[in-house]
Amino acid sequence: MNLVSESLSLDDYEQAVELFFERGWTDGLPVVLPTRKRVEALIAYAGRDPQESLGPVPPKGGEATIEKLAINAVMGGCRPEHFPVVLAAMEAMMDPAHNLNGVSQTTHMCVSLIIVNGPIARELGFNSRDGVFGNGYRANAAVGRAVRLALWNLGGAVPWDTDKSTLSHPGEYAFCIAEEEEDNPWQPLHVERGCDPGSDAVTVFACEGPHSVFCYGTPEEMLHVLADSMCSLGNNNMHVMGQTLVTLNPLNAEEFAKRGWSKQDVRLYLWEHARRPLSDVRACGVVHEQFRKMERDAGRYPLRYDLDNPTTRLPVTQAPEDIHIVVAGGRSYFAAVLPGWGGFGGFAVTRPVRRPGR
Amino acid sequence: MEILVPVWPAAETPRPPKTRPRLLAGATIALVDDNLDIPFTTRLEALLGERHGAKVERLVKPSGTAPSPRDLIDGAAGAHAAIVGIGL
Repeated sequence: MNLVSESLSLDDYEQAVELFFERGWTDGLPVVLPTRKRVEALIAYAGRDPQESLGPVPPKGGEATIEKLAINAVMGGCRPEHFPVVLAAMEAMMDPAHNLNGVSQTTHMCVSLIIVNGPIARELGFNSRDGVFGNGYRANAAVGRAVRLALWNLGGAVPWDTDKSTLSHPGEYAFCIAEEEEDNPWQPLHVERGCDPGSDAVTVFACEGPHSVFCYGTPEEMLHVLADSMCSLGNNNMHVMGQTLVTLNPLNAEEFAKRGWSKQDVRLYLWEHARRPLSDVRACGVVHEQFRKMERDAGRYPLRYDLDNPTTRLPVTQAPEDIHIVVAGGRSYFAAVLPGWGGFGGFAVTRPVRRPGR
Repeated sequence: MEILVPVWPAAETPRPPKTRPRLLAGATIALVDDNLDIPFTTRLEALLGERHGAKVERLVKPSGTAPSPRDLIDGAAGAHAAIVGIGL
């Protein structure tokens, strides 16, 4: 296989691992060493030209060639069958709608969450149930970390350098879940977003970490709590809209469905009720006000809300479609909301997973 | 064992920066408006021009969170100095 990356010949394992720290090639954790053999196995599995590029990775613009992505995927712990998921996630993140340049450099603490859908999630052992945002599953961890390492090594998204996030996010190491599709009464996320049923896809969305929502009871009771949790004055959405993500657990979804609520019904209800009076929002101060005006002047804030009327109730997003709903986690009392970056970007983008031979 | 390097090769040495103008008076200053703090940028523009005698070329980015378009970068490169990264 014709690979063009510079290579190093090292005989000592410990020395090789330490070299990655010394050169600034890792995120603070040791890596799986990207030997030629391992890298070639990933590229061969994906069946892609090693020199094909998905484009320059912002902010520093290293090319996302299949070869470089495979090197970083090996470092993150990927097996060959994980690699097509990594590629789909990178393709999605590099869509201009996602504004990866901004997501990587903002002072905000958003990170691009990877959501895996389709049969591939179960086949490769992605977790979609108990502990979905946590540790313990190689597929979630390896794919999530592979993407973060690619952003680190090719994009140069490094804290104290181009990554200006002031508090940052534990998902900077890995932030990848699968949607639960078997124990789910509704259409999965990727099908809602235009993919064929039964297909494999990845959706990326830049968001904060999951905020716990104690969510149990009738549909109206659950929605009351969810709506309140979504429109916290501390999140960007409440000031500059954008998109937000709600994660319902399978029991929540089942309860809604049993009582005749579709996912769209839930979304519309949340959009109508996840609102704050303008007086509440205004009490946050002039800087927030300035952001709102800036977004309105730039055409990213809906003009239909009267910002001079204190009784105006501002929604958390511009339109119901900007509320994404995913079913994941254990059957329990807990759901989660994951606010986005606001109107600046990080918007959800979905890409199919191109599996070889399918 | 042969280990492959995960980073993209470093770019060739960039062009050396221009010599900074010794005085603002008479100098052309590119003021890149990131569209993030318009009142502050407007005040800065006025100070540079009215108080210090600089000729200010205000170049407006469509969004403060996306890269500058190429023509904006080229425009700023034509000035004696550029002010970038104006935000909150």
